Amino acid sequence: MSEALLGLKVIQPGRRAQHAWDLLVELVRRDLKIKYKRSILGIGWSLLNPFLQLLIFTFVFGHILRLNIPHYPAFVFAGLIAWTWFSSALFSAPLAIAGNPELVRRPGFPVAALPVLTVASNAIPFVLALPVLFLFILADGGRLGLSVLALPLVVVVQFILTLGLACIVASSHVRFRDTQHLVGLAVMLGFYVTPVFYSARSMPEKYRLAFDLNPMAILLNAYRDVLIDNRWPSWAPLAAVLVAGLTLLAVGYAVFERTRASFAEEL
Amino acid sequence: MDPVVVQNLGKRFRRRGVDRPSSFKEAVLTLKLRIPAEEFWGLRDISFSVPAGRTIGIVGKNGAGKSTLLRLIGGVITPDEGDVAVHGRIGALLDLGAGLSDDLTGRENIFLSGVIAGMTRAEVGARFDSIVAFAELEDVLDDPIRIYSSGMRLRLAFAVAAHIDPDILLIDEVLAVGDAAFHRKCLEQIRRFKASGCTIFLVSHEATQVRALCDQVILLRQGRMLSFGPTHGVMDQYEALVEGRTQSPGRQDVPDRKIAGGGKLTMGVTRFGTQQVQIEAVRVLNHENAPTNCIVSGDGIIVEVDYHAKQPALSPNVSIGVHLPDGIACLDTNTQIGGLELANLSGRGTLRLTIGRLDLCGGDYFVNVGLYERDWDHTYDCHELVYPLRVIGANSGRGIMNPPNRWERVGPAESAEPLLTAFSP
Repeated sequence: MSEALLGLKVIQPGRRAQHAWDLLVELVRRDLKIKYKRSILGIGWSLLNPFLQLLIFTFVFGHILRLNIPHYPAFVFAGLIAWTWFSSALFSAPLAIAGNPELVRRPGFPVAALPVLTVASNAIPFVLALPVLFLFILADGGRLGLSVLALPLVVVVQFILTLGLACIVASSHVRFRDTQHLVGLAVMLGFYVTPVFYSARSMPEKYRLAFDLNPMAILLNAYRDVLIDNRWPSWAPLAAVLVAGLTLLAVGYAVFERTRASFAEEL
Repeated sequence: MDPVVVQNLGKRFRRRGVDRPSSFKEAVLTLKLRIPAEEFWGLRDISFSVPAGRTIGIVGKNGAGKSTLLRLIGGVITPDEGDVAVHGRIGALLDLGAGLSDDLTGRENIFLSGVIAGMTRAEVGARFDSIVAFAELEDVLDDPIRIYSSGMRLRLAFAVAAHIDPDILLIDEVLAVGDAAFHRKCLEQIRRFKASGCTIFLVSHEATQVRALCDQVILLRQGRMLSFGPTHGVMDQYEALVEGRTQSPGRQDVPDRKIAGGGKLTMGVTRFGTQQVQIEAVRVLNHENAPTNCIVSGDGIIVEVDYHAKQPALSPNVSIGVHLPDGIACLDTNTQIGGLELANLSGRGTLRLTIGRLDLCGGDYFVNVGLYERDWDHTYDCHELVYPLRVIGANSGRGIMNPPNRWERVGPAESAEPLLTAFSP
């Protein structure tokens, strides 16, 4: 190890930040390794799922029930990978605390890192699929414009929103083991009411409000604006999602801190 | 400033599954029908301060609260009263090996558990060779630890923990496992920690180990701190306690009390409760208002209870019962059933229950008295099987009851007089 890195531990705040980062990296790495160790395809399994869905949706809605959405494969794929990140994070959030009793019981362990870990681990397949999405867009005759620069912002907003929800779900599951099943149902319904494989813009006016109030719908729109339509996302709705996400995170963190004291006893 | 200062520490536990809904269904069902919680103090009234560099042993029988105390110092659980102030970086050797991942290699696990224990990756890297050498795992470093023996896992976990440079180290029973060589190594390492000025808390059942390593010892019994002092004296007390040589001393601040003509009040044996409100005296009187412990079946009794509420108690309940020596209740009544509203108890006072008649069979009984919190959630003070009551009952048969009764023969009778008459008492 280099001396420069070792020097970090002298500066305490820097050391703490470094430790938090290292902790996250090691835990994400552990999650991925455990998930894919001894499987031939490894992380490929995480990519295969959206690919298969992509094939199905492209076939069904591109050729049989035509939705007439331009660049449909890229459109669906962008929706699928962002949605899969969101849904898989929420699926695993109930076990963020309940599944790690040995860490929760360890003195000095920052329990708040666990929901972050859940959202971050599930972001890995998303991040790995992004280059594939770029290839899709290019192969489809599209191009990536300057608006791609707004992509990290959209990702961050989605991260905050998901993390807020994950904190609430994780705390709740420690007490109420029904949480896992409720979240499963909600996420499944969410897939259909969110324009993942269809476009909100093609929906009748009377349903528009439902999409305007759905933060994931706004985020998917933003992804498609930025990546496929080469335009800046609609800032106002995105800002609204950011505010909602931050509020949710504040509430989620408060709930988390309130119930944190009882985690070690309940597990 | 002392690195660890504990003041008036108390931790309450709820017996599992009593009132805590664990699903939404239960939560909905119990919303209105709240079953009173069965709570108990796992640890209470613990105060001590430990200067830097001391090694403190924590001893006591199973369930005395040793691990709870360690977890409270570690900040894993939060106290219900009092507080713990800890200054410095905490290291822990608690359930070693619990955080290891089977599918990762030894090398990966060293980094993972090092970072979990509070080191940065760079710090683990700098100590990596030393950790591996300590654990003696050079040959299997790149094998998944699934194939490790339990001894190897333990060595790995301890080796990582031994490299964290904590200011305060919490050790729970780790040294009870592993082979002799490893054992020796662990003890050496703990001595090194000591030498480096680390404050150590060691929970152990092994008296020799505690005597060898600790400067001071905390002796816990049923969640109370029985003693805190130099190792030698406290360990003598502990060993005496374990071998049952002392009579149960009970709560330190509630001394045992002999009851005239009866049993002895001992916390945890014949006396229970938080003692926020205490029963100071119980008198059993006969119908002439004279103290007694012997009545004739069918006589009435009066029970007077002197209480002392150190803190005001809002609408408490008082129960009085007459019980057989094996605990079976012959009579059990309370102020709630009797319709006596005790709005507020504070200071000293007396309650009186008049029982018109006690139609009990002849034999030995006890008058039990209890003071409870408003919703029967807690016991303030409860005295069981200490106030004797002998009932003299001529002609009483088997069973518990002996009400007035009379035998007669009915039907075709040769004589108008009943053949057999028994009237008692």
